[in-house]
Amino acid sequence: MYDVPNSERTVTATDTKIAAKGVQVYYGDTHAIKDVDVQIADKTVTAFIGPSGCGKSTFLRCLNRMNDTIDICRVEGDIHIDGEDIYDKRVDPVQLRAKVGMVFQKPNPFPKSIYDNVAYGPRIHGMARNKAELDDIVESALRRAALWNEAKDRLQAPGTGLSGGQQQRLCIARAVATEPEILLMDEPCSALDPIATAQVEELIDELRQNYAVVIVTHSMQQAARVSQKTAFFHLGNLVEYDDTNKIFTNPTDKRTESYITGRIG
Amino acid sequence: MPASWIFLIVVVLAAAGYVLARGRAMASAGGDQRRLHSLPSYYGTNAAMAAAVPALGLLAIWLIAQPMVSDLYVSSGLPEAIQADAGERSLAMADVRRVADGLDYAVSQGAMTREEAANLSVSANDIRERLGAVGIALGSDVDETTLELAQQYRNLTNTGNTIRTVLVLLVALASFGAAYMMTAKDFRARNTVERAVLILLIAAACVAILTTIGIVFSLIFNTLDFFSRYPAAEFFLGTTWQPSFSGRGGGSELGFLPLIWGTLYISIIALAVAVPLGLFSAIYLSEYASKPVRSVVKPLLEVLAGIPTIVYGLFALLTVGPLLLSAFGNDGVLQLGWMSGGTAAMTAGLVMGIMLIPFVSSLSDDIINSVPQAMRDGSYGLGATQSETIRQVILPAALPGIVGAILLAASRAIGETMIVVLGAGAAASLSLNPFEAMTTVTAKIVSQLTGDGEFNSPETLVAFALGMTLFVITLALNVLALWIVRRYREQYE
Ligand SMILES: Nc1ncnc2c1ncn2[C@@H]1O[C@H](COP(=O)(O)OP(=O)(O)OP(=O)(O)O)[C@@H](O)[C@H]1O
Ligand SMILES: [Mg+2]
Repeated sequence: MYDVPNSERTVTATDTKIAAKGVQVYYGDTHAIKDVDVQIADKTVTAFIGPSGCGKSTFLRCLNRMNDTIDICRVEGDIHIDGEDIYDKRVDPVQLRAKVGMVFQKPNPFPKSIYDNVAYGPRIHGMARNKAELDDIVESALRRAALWNEAKDRLQAPGTGLSGGQQQRLCIARAVATEPEILLMDEPCSALDPIATAQVEELIDELRQNYAVVIVTHSMQQAARVSQKTAFFHLGNLVEYDDTNKIFTNPTDKRTESYITGRIG
Repeated sequence: MPASWIFLIVVVLAAAGYVLARGRAMASAGGDQRRLHSLPSYYGTNAAMAAAVPALGLLAIWLIAQPMVSDLYVSSGLPEAIQADAGERSLAMADVRRVADGLDYAVSQGAMTREEAANLSVSANDIRERLGAVGIALGSDVDETTLELAQQYRNLTNTGNTIRTVLVLLVALASFGAAYMMTAKDFRARNTVERAVLILLIAAACVAILTTIGIVFSLIFNTLDFFSRYPAAEFFLGTTWQPSFSGRGGGSELGFLPLIWGTLYISIIALAVAVPLGLFSAIYLSEYASKPVRSVVKPLLEVLAGIPTIVYGLFALLTVGPLLLSAFGNDGVLQLGWMSGGTAAMTAGLVMGIMLIPFVSSLSDDIINSVPQAMRDGSYGLGATQSETIRQVILPAALPGIVGAILLAASRAIGETMIVVLGAGAAASLSLNPFEAMTTVTAKIVSQLTGDGEFNSPETLVAFALGMTLFVITLALNVLALWIVRRYREQYE
């Protein structure tokens, strides 16, 4: 990660992909994340749940240093990915973000064609040797994001002309095409119909074979369906973090229980 | 009654109408606002607009039309010989108006009684002297016809003014009365006001368009006049510009090509300087600069836009020209001998480019800043660097606006005169060498019109043809740019 090309990096087969310790996030004077410790495992889907405004997106953005782009945001504490401190001075956030992909809460396609949107990451990182390879990458990313059937005849049409749900899948395809090791997904199914949701969940399950996936969701059913681990956030605190089964059947904390049974949030 | 009084009365009436109609609406709903169709202020606004808009519209039209009508009517009393020639006719009418206005002024100052003014005669009174006494200077003694027509003119104006006052106030009252009568709790005042606002906005847009058309027309007649005295083919295709002011028309060569060549050449040099520098500083300011740097540099850059162009002209003449000469001149350090004098297309182009930097940078900076942060986040989130993000996401998203900014700069460059006069020289030449003196269309328009030439020789009328052609060219440029921007928008929005 210290500016080493992807190919020269030796993959350390640790179980823990991301280790966060004592993370505090401030927006100016607002204390948005309060002393969060969490260990996110490789080849696992981890779900972040919690009421609106509790800091799920904020914490997610800490994991690929997207908070750097917000002037008033300050992050304290340690976050290690593959045993390396990502807030270390020597770390290039650009390299980090290539490895830790992100799907944003609001779909944000570029003002380019559908094809160019998906090809954006692969082009920047020189992932394709020729046009044919790039075509393949684009096609497979769109297929995996369940957008290929709708988009295959209009690849040169602008991405901004798609519907809200299609844009969301385009952004998923865009993130997947870059082949990150960790994929952070902030409410990726919020605008999707049940069929597309099922396809995206299938994709998440498939990604789990090779990657670590973190997904923020407001749907308890979705968290229960796709994740193996679940973290419950409340007012900036990580209240409970455990196996998904345990959280949904036998939560330790009262607040968790109230939330999943629909009494807070 | 003077027009300003009428205006004030109508405004007062409108204000009173607002209060009255609002009160009537409230009364009709028994004082309960919820039973009204619209908010009470809409009823008031409706009545106020009814009182003011038609009346003021009529007043405006009257103010424009009355002098034209009086002119037309009175001028029919001029001798046939004078009426036949448009120039002499307008001179004679100017005299008539001057005498008429002078008499009115003398009466209002108390230097003459009303009867005295009405019964003046050329033989008995020295009108010129009496008007001179109140500060109205006449060019020559007043003759019989002029005095008679001036009196006629005064009468017409007086009657016109009386009719105007009565009519405008009547319209205001009637239209307000109608609106007031309609005011009741179920009257859809909100919709009516909405429609009235729409009409006002359309009217405002029309004024802008009509003015443009008016400008074109004012150019067109003189342009046609020019082409009736000078062959169009020689104007558009001629490669020499050599007006002679001594002989009437004979011997002048008025070729348009060297002028437009100079205009385009200098503009292109200016844009070649301004666009990269302006765009790069905009990118630096909006994407890289920290807050403190930005808060210092941006105002500093904008100061450039506030410098009068004549100062830039001096800068070109006194600093840039000699500097370039010392590098590219005959005895220059580079020993190239490309440049023979300080004034050159390059001098004017460089300085004009500096002048245009803030136009490009300030507008582009605003446009780049308005690209949503989500777009940047999306790119950074995929592992793109800052410059990749700027090149591949931000600039394409901001392109229509940036093209607009560049076009604005281009039209400034094409229309710029002062820098050219001082920096580029006055010789019209069709040369490829940017270090040679050149001149532009605008600079030549100025030099053709300064001096005491009358508008009846090709040497002066050519200014209108030049202006018209320049107008058409910039119009075509704007249409082209609009077309580019629209095509681009269609693709990406
Ligand atoms: N850019 C920002 N500037 C200032 N405060 C912010 C900013 N972004 C988030 N916050 C604050 O931080 C807190 C956490 O916000 P965050 O977006 O992480 O919530 P969330 O859990 O993702 O909510 P949701 O489920 O609605 O997306 C909120 O109180 C919010 O007001
Ligand atoms: Mg969120």
